[in-house]
Amino acid sequence: MGQLNFSNIHKRFGAAEIIKGIDLEVEKGEFVVFVGPSGCGKSTLLRMLAGLEEVTKGDIVIDGVKVNELPPVKRGIAMVFQSYALYPHMTVFENIAFPLRVERTKEEELKEKVHAAARILQLDQRLEQKPGQLSGGQRQRVAIGRAIVREPKIFLFDEPLSNLDAALRAEMRIELTKLHKRLKATMIYVTHDQVEAMTMADRIVVLNSGEIAQNGAPLELYHKPENLFVAGFIGNPKMNFLPVTCKGAGRDGVKVEYDGRTITVPVAPRQGIEGSKLTLGIRPEHIHLGQGDLDIPVAPTVIERLGANTVVYAVLPGGDTENYCALIPGSAPVRTDETMETGVFAKDCHLFDEDGAAFERRVEMKEVDPELLVATG
Amino acid sequence: MKSNAMIDRYRWYEMVGIYAGIALFLTFVLAPFVEGFLVSLKPLTYLFSSPYKFWPQNASFDAYFTMWERVPLLGRYIFNSILISTIGTLIGVILITPAAYAFARFDFRGRGPLLGAFLAVNMFSGAVLLIPLYRLMRSFGLLNTYFAMIVPGVAFVIPTGIWLLRTYMLRIPQELEEAALADGASRFYTFRRVILPLAMPGISVVAIYSFLTIYAQQFIYALTFNSKTEYMPLPVGLYAFFGRQDVIWNELMAASFLGVLPVFVVFIYLQRYLVAGMTAGALKT
Repeated sequence: MGQLNFSNIHKRFGAAEIIKGIDLEVEKGEFVVFVGPSGCGKSTLLRMLAGLEEVTKGDIVIDGVKVNELPPVKRGIAMVFQSYALYPHMTVFENIAFPLRVERTKEEELKEKVHAAARILQLDQRLEQKPGQLSGGQRQRVAIGRAIVREPKIFLFDEPLSNLDAALRAEMRIELTKLHKRLKATMIYVTHDQVEAMTMADRIVVLNSGEIAQNGAPLELYHKPENLFVAGFIGNPKMNFLPVTCKGAGRDGVKVEYDGRTITVPVAPRQGIEGSKLTLGIRPEHIHLGQGDLDIPVAPTVIERLGANTVVYAVLPGGDTENYCALIPGSAPVRTDETMETGVFAKDCHLFDEDGAAFERRVEMKEVDPELLVATG
Repeated sequence: MKSNAMIDRYRWYEMVGIYAGIALFLTFVLAPFVEGFLVSLKPLTYLFSSPYKFWPQNASFDAYFTMWERVPLLGRYIFNSILISTIGTLIGVILITPAAYAFARFDFRGRGPLLGAFLAVNMFSGAVLLIPLYRLMRSFGLLNTYFAMIVPGVAFVIPTGIWLLRTYMLRIPQELEEAALADGASRFYTFRRVILPLAMPGISVVAIYSFLTIYAQQFIYALTFNSKTEYMPLPVGLYAFFGRQDVIWNELMAASFLGVLPVFVVFIYLQRYLVAGMTAGALKT
């Protein structure tokens, strides 16, 4: 039993089923990120946990206590909202003190706690200002401060960085990670931004239309996605999916054919898949110029030069828009509309069956610390 | 001061047109006031001089002093007017604010039809309903009391007040309340500490609207539901200047101006809220 347990959680808004049976365990002190496209139910799940939304079916248990019917404050959670939800008419001090005022905390203790929170968040100089006078990042910190003073068991973050600009977002990611280290509290974080998920999470829960698509450590999701959805969602640019035909399976993997060429992907084989239509997944960063185990000649239609990398887009035969993307390090010598050779190694490939479920990869990932492939509590 | 925004740039003839339009409008609105004020300055004997002179001869403020002697209860009338409007405004705001919050936030059965009914009520003026109101007042025993003028006044500002304030409250982000709820605040605590302060500009608008409306409407209710001279508000009290043979126009005008004064003061003092409250965009958090 973890500190927080979801068991068979369902949520229905009228006829629409938003959450379709979620089972999840969160250990004390974990930083868990719920990620998924908009409408996947991640915010709803968080709001149910916060006590802002009723649970249609199933149980939410915190520290062994079923909290379905408890008001937010009795659950021992504190929430940071996407819009920060600061009270514009109160000073920063009063905003942070609000939960303590509700609890009728004694004035001295209240001051002490607010100042302590302000110190952690470097808001000491801003306590007398109103939220309107603060920058986006500072407002964000005030919202976090309001969550900290209550000393909750679990922090909930609902897309807290989505209103900030890119530079500030990167800065706040680091701050949040440091804060998590410092407070050692359980944090549940909702975002649609996979970079935030990858960088901050101990464990990522990928949600797809109300169900958990995969639940694991960030690098586990990256290297061993269990299905097409997770494979496509994690990683930027998106993984390339090539339609292939299975030509047989042996001890060293599954042999597939693409456009007349074959490649043997080192994955756990299955019985009777010969002749079936499979999907070959290749991450853009695993495509290189020149030869490989599988060669794919393409004529780039769009080239984005980022300096550190060059992103090449092309249309594969049979496609109508850019469905092939390669991320090549440095300033690659490629030109639009000039055919180039691209290659990919079999050990970098992913293979998915007709239902989108992945074949388990049998590759040693020497460069990855094995601990990072397992979610730590 | 010149505005730099492109959207505020006009050609000279456009400016002339704009000012001409404003001038025309203001003339229509202000002419009665100017004329009334000038009349109040004229001695009664010169009022009907022929040919009529717009500019007063022998102008003086005498009427502003003699009127108190001719109608000794004038002070009382003015006091009554303000009293009725103030109490009516207070009651109105106290009733409207929680109601508007409920209409803005709670989803209850019959909310839509009720709001629609409020709009429909606005289509009736109080005058149409005088007879039913009279019977109501009589059965409640409110005839010939201050409440005979306050209660219907309040009743007729409530629908519009709820509409005004509800719209304002809808613009307060719901996340603020959710945050307060998550922090353990009760609904009432949230209402008091978060919603009320944020809705203050909206509440001011409702208060001003109520005061002005009740002040203007009390005449008809006073005339119908009250026969006690000492409870009469100013608009009815002004009838005292209508003598058996002639009307003391100059003093009547002077008293009118004095009666408009409180509303004028309230308006000047609160108009910045009125404008701010009516035009305020989404609350920035």
